[in-house]
Amino acid sequence: MDGNELLGRLKTLGKIEDPNKDIHGLSYAQFPGTHCPLMGAAMAVRGIRGAYMMIVGTDECSYYTKHMTIHSEDWGGLAGRCVSVTIDQHDVTFGCAKKTEEAFSELLEEVTPEAVFLVTTCVPEIIGDDFDAIADSLSERYGIPVMPVHTEHFKCENHMPGVERAITACIRLMEPQPVGDGVNVLGQRLGRFEDTELYRVLKSAGVPVCAMIPSGCSIAEIRRAPSAKVNIVVNDIGMPLARKMKAKFGTPCVFFDKFSDPARIAEAYEQLFAFLNIEVPEELTALSEEAKAAAAAAKERLTGVPFIYGNTPFRCFEACGFMASLGMVPQLIQCHGISEDDRRDTEHILQCADPYITQVANIAPLQYIYDVLKPKLYLGHEYAARLRKKGIAIVHTDAGGGMLGYEVTTYFTKQLLAAAEEAEAIGKEDAQ
Amino acid sequence: MSLTRFLPTPSDRMGILWTLLNIDGSVIIEYGPAGTTHFSMGLFGELGIEQENRLFTTHMREEDVIMGDTSRLENAIVEVDQNFAPKVIFVVASSSSAVIGTDLRGVSKMVQPKVSARLIAFEQGGFRGDYSFGIKAAYELLAQSLAVRGAEHRPGTYNILGASSGAYRCKADAYELQRLMSETFSMRCLCPFCLETTVDCIESMSGAEINLVIRQEALPVAQLLEKQFGIPYVFGAPYGYQKTSEWLDAISEKLGRVPNPKVIGPLKKSATEMMQYRMYARMLRRDKMQAYLYGEYETVRGIGEFLSEMGIRPTYQISTHNTAPLSDVAEGILYLPGEKERISILKSLDHTLVLADDTAKRLISGTNTFLRIATPLIDGSQVAHHMPLIGPRGADMIREAVDEYVNTLR
Repeated sequence: MDGNELLGRLKTLGKIEDPNKDIHGLSYAQFPGTHCPLMGAAMAVRGIRGAYMMIVGTDECSYYTKHMTIHSEDWGGLAGRCVSVTIDQHDVTFGCAKKTEEAFSELLEEVTPEAVFLVTTCVPEIIGDDFDAIADSLSERYGIPVMPVHTEHFKCENHMPGVERAITACIRLMEPQPVGDGVNVLGQRLGRFEDTELYRVLKSAGVPVCAMIPSGCSIAEIRRAPSAKVNIVVNDIGMPLARKMKAKFGTPCVFFDKFSDPARIAEAYEQLFAFLNIEVPEELTALSEEAKAAAAAAKERLTGVPFIYGNTPFRCFEACGFMASLGMVPQLIQCHGISEDDRRDTEHILQCADPYITQVANIAPLQYIYDVLKPKLYLGHEYAARLRKKGIAIVHTDAGGGMLGYEVTTYFTKQLLAAAEEAEAIGKEDAQ
Repeated sequence: MSLTRFLPTPSDRMGILWTLLNIDGSVIIEYGPAGTTHFSMGLFGELGIEQENRLFTTHMREEDVIMGDTSRLENAIVEVDQNFAPKVIFVVASSSSAVIGTDLRGVSKMVQPKVSARLIAFEQGGFRGDYSFGIKAAYELLAQSLAVRGAEHRPGTYNILGASSGAYRCKADAYELQRLMSETFSMRCLCPFCLETTVDCIESMSGAEINLVIRQEALPVAQLLEKQFGIPYVFGAPYGYQKTSEWLDAISEKLGRVPNPKVIGPLKKSATEMMQYRMYARMLRRDKMQAYLYGEYETVRGIGEFLSEMGIRPTYQISTHNTAPLSDVAEGILYLPGEKERISILKSLDHTLVLADDTAKRLISGTNTFLRIATPLIDGSQVAHHMPLIGPRGADMIREAVDEYVNTLR
């Protein structure tokens, strides 16, 4: 492969007019490719205690999903909450409804789920079985909530719609409640909310957390979620549910993602406490100062350091914009897409650089890009030893998945500095 | 019958993939949504199969599903050919492309003139049966496509037909066969079909002196090579001392080679020692020596026969896969597609030697004695490639489990 040729296929951020058409892959043949929404749905249901996930799909889809859940305590292991209806040629021809109904009956003979997410995959969606109607019928017959979740991968580019659809389906569980002083956390898919700075700040301000969907909640908590005064949406995937809750119950929402820029974090905190009718807590001033100091110190060391962005738990363009504000040079950004919500960040990046943009999860051709762009840092999952040979250090950010608030800035800058130091050491080794 | 609580039986497509991923010098392009490829990494990693630069996906969008546009696949084939220069590109269907009826053979035929690699299409999308159907189809198409050009005759070589990554202890079994063949006849393996092999090896298969067929799914390949090149074959996987001895005798007879007495002598001695277990069985007052076997058909049949030699009655012999593609199915070996019946049997077992998979281990009571002989692996790993199930070493290991079991009986 020729790295220059590969880059020639890509557009830079400034030249992207229609993200749906202008963000190209590095190659037609991808490895490993993106995760599928079925996995996303599984990620969501894992955190919802008492709920079963019934997959309707091929042996293969069911096998891989079950395989993923087998060692998870949240899922209940081998005999846990993930079950399936595996479809064959007969079902493709005559439909999956009968088999699904039989499987549902068998399941209910053995366990008493509080709710069931009926998750369809590519094939049942292609053949067009009406799983919304099947779910309604099962729900009515057995008197438990059955929520259809459609996870066909050919209609989307990654696993996130699966998480989004699974948590959005929770609206069917919710019932009107008297509004209290608490908050819901919508869309946290990594880590525990209780471990975040935001949780600690809310707790010390006396704000109770009602439901954390889907990072750890019960069906009863979801049912009572409309009692919250505010929904804190910590990822885009929580927005559709937040909008539905706003329409159905009038619950307002604040978008509080894993921002890395202290200014954005401050905005989110201010908006949140305004909705709660509480003064912004004093302790945030110290946390803000600490984050700003970390960013300023990092800027001194990181200015001019070129990087390729693969994936992090943070918000893609916001994180890249923050790094650009530290003087770092984005060369290539791998992303799932660019939305209107990213405009503020993309404009900020363009003031500093005009990086190439490509689709995520295709590491094979990246090897040839490294030789052309010669980045110092790579953010995301890659083979560390292989990158090292090319003088590149990996920025490890997985632990950031369980963070919200100024702690993100402090952690992120620390990881960037550690990786930059490593890249420098690799450079010295190579020079010797 | 309709609910799957545990891991379903892998599909034909999965069997095809783990067969093809063992062939160095080839690349697989899957035509389907990318998530399946990414998701498969967990299983293939567990099976010890490398995927990098061997497995690619094209992804598939809604317009491809609705309009049947295959340009994404065509471009991927040309690109892989240019970038990796494999000898063969396997074009493999996904469940989605199979359901919409994408003509992968037609696409491959159309693109073939544009590429140097040989294109071989597999249109199974997971609906034609379980992995047994898949590996049978893969073996047949591979042999028809790659092994039928006459290769240079290589005296002192043999092929193993039917080595499959999905089988528990497959590598250890293949290595044990190779050790036995080397020590007994001073012969070397030309092609382990299809485990840790190459396109070149498969193309050279017709140069071997004999084919050793260890599972029925590979019999059509042996028959094809016999018909076309006159290569004799011996069928059967050697489980237990007696059967291993007989298996070596059969090879000796086919080849006219005298086996090494240093191998045969200890085998016959060990086979004789097995009679003591029959005597022990007669002394039991409370219990009966009985076994539950769940595994791949050939494993169940082979170990079941070995246990019978020891006086242990296999009360249940269940194949993990459908036996329909097999031409010869021994009486008493069942295929139970529904989990419910298997769960019920497992929960009823008492003072039984259970040779099965990890799911069974989780379901049986503490009075039983367990030995893993089948995938899926849930509670462990598979790294001891010197510990087979077949041959004298496999028999030794099974015998240890039997000794442990016997100590629980009264």
